[in-house]
Amino acid sequence: MFVKKTIAVLLAGTATLAADNAFAQSTGTAAGTSVDNTASVTYTVNGVNQSTTSNTASFVVDRKVNFTVVTDQTGFTQVTLGQQDAVTKFKVTNTTNGTQDFILDPDQNNIGVGILPGNDNFDVASLRAFVDSNNNGVYDANVDTQTFIDELAPDASVTVFVVGNVPSTQSAAIAWDSLHVIVAAGGTTGTRGSALIATDLNLANADNTVDIVFADNDSDGAAIGDIARNGEGRAYSGYEVGTRNVALSVNKSARVVADGVNLANFKAIPGATVEYCLTVTNATPLVAASSVVLTDVIPANTTYVPGSMAMGAPGTLGACVAAGSTEDDDADDGTESDGLTAAFDGGSKTVSARITTVPGLGSVATAFRVKIN
Amino acid sequence: MTRLLSGTAAITIATVAAPVLAAGPLQVSASVMVEAKERGTDGAVRVKLVPASRVVPGDRMTLVVAYRNTGGQPLSNVVIANPVPAALMFQAAAPGSPAPEVSADGKTFTTLSALRVAGPAGPRAAKPADVTHVRWRMTAPIAPGAEGRFAFNAVLK
Repeated sequence: MFVKKTIAVLLAGTATLAADNAFAQSTGTAAGTSVDNTASVTYTVNGVNQSTTSNTASFVVDRKVNFTVVTDQTGFTQVTLGQQDAVTKFKVTNTTNGTQDFILDPDQNNIGVGILPGNDNFDVASLRAFVDSNNNGVYDANVDTQTFIDELAPDASVTVFVVGNVPSTQSAAIAWDSLHVIVAAGGTTGTRGSALIATDLNLANADNTVDIVFADNDSDGAAIGDIARNGEGRAYSGYEVGTRNVALSVNKSARVVADGVNLANFKAIPGATVEYCLTVTNATPLVAASSVVLTDVIPANTTYVPGSMAMGAPGTLGACVAAGSTEDDDADDGTESDGLTAAFDGGSKTVSARITTVPGLGSVATAFRVKIN
Repeated sequence: MTRLLSGTAAITIATVAAPVLAAGPLQVSASVMVEAKERGTDGAVRVKLVPASRVVPGDRMTLVVAYRNTGGQPLSNVVIANPVPAALMFQAAAPGSPAPEVSADGKTFTTLSALRVAGPAGPRAAKPADVTHVRWRMTAPIAPGAEGRFAFNAVLK
């Protein structure tokens, strides 16, 4: 019944876009892009061709805020007591359909038990967060000084270092930390934008403004550090004291064990035998001290009693060594197998004792005798 | 500004850019709606169409073209053409709307199932995402005072 063949006149594409690549990224069409739709119509009235177009229906693409924070290392950072600028490494990826700033909030207080292995028993001092400005994956103290993420493009990632100083406290073992990240407004290079606030879903909004819609996931699951759709993210890491100093102390005591005159209450008279007792104590829990060497020059006016050295666990009731092993005086310890060796050097009048291992919170005693000239 | 109300559903024009409409008996109005999930008092989540004021990538949208013959003559050979905005990915005709003819180049129109597009290994069957233009050809004249609407679904890239 068509009298005339009608040719639809198609308008050229009517979507106007902020940029040619506005939707080339996987994060979707860039926030602020105006999408316009117009229909064109041809028809005939009594055989006369007519055409018209509709109004243009437009909307502005809103900001779908999404990003991830992850720990960018395996296990805890191994540190030593007193270490400065110990680093834990994180990565922040912007999956918002727009360029954003991110506020960095390093944290070691609001971390629930059970998220990380072990038990947190100390805090590092001066916890700070820095962006890997030169993008080399390594914290450079004088280079990586930016304390917020500036203008992170859609789909881009950046490494963030959380840096702290380990105390010298002997008991320090594990410190948990976390990087708490808050999305902020982008747009001004070099300036930290203010934290974004989601547009109230109940408010009627103007169609030509860019609403803020939080679409971020809960970054820590059941833990209390983060919830979904809050424009914040959190990842966890920690410091572990791997190598440490042990609190090693030596106590030296002397007692007269015979004077050749009295049967008891021996006096320190010439000819008396004096036993010296060197007790090595390791006051650090769980950590052994290895290869401990004691040397002691015998006092003037005394003579070493050959074969008088004994080593072993400390004794009680005044005894230096309880059930210790008697050590020979020579320096040849090839046949020794108990980890305790000793020698006397007659030239320098020096007693030396070597203890292979002093266990954590353990003590080892060494006894030797001299005669008063 | 032109605001047309169809018989049953009120169509709010999201933004009126106030184009100069060609003088003529056929008034055409475009609007964009977005699917919004709404939790009812019974707890069930329903999807309803709301004006496209809050739209983020991944949202499902409905583009509506409503028409009305305001003249005294029947209008014949009506063809309503709608290029799909580049930021949107065509999905299908909206529920209740006739399926449009589609095109991947704006020149050749056919049904989606018959449309073929060039691929790396020669022509292949088109997918909805390949569609760049849609159009509806009306076989019957629009009587004076008659009105109707077409719509299709798309997803914001």
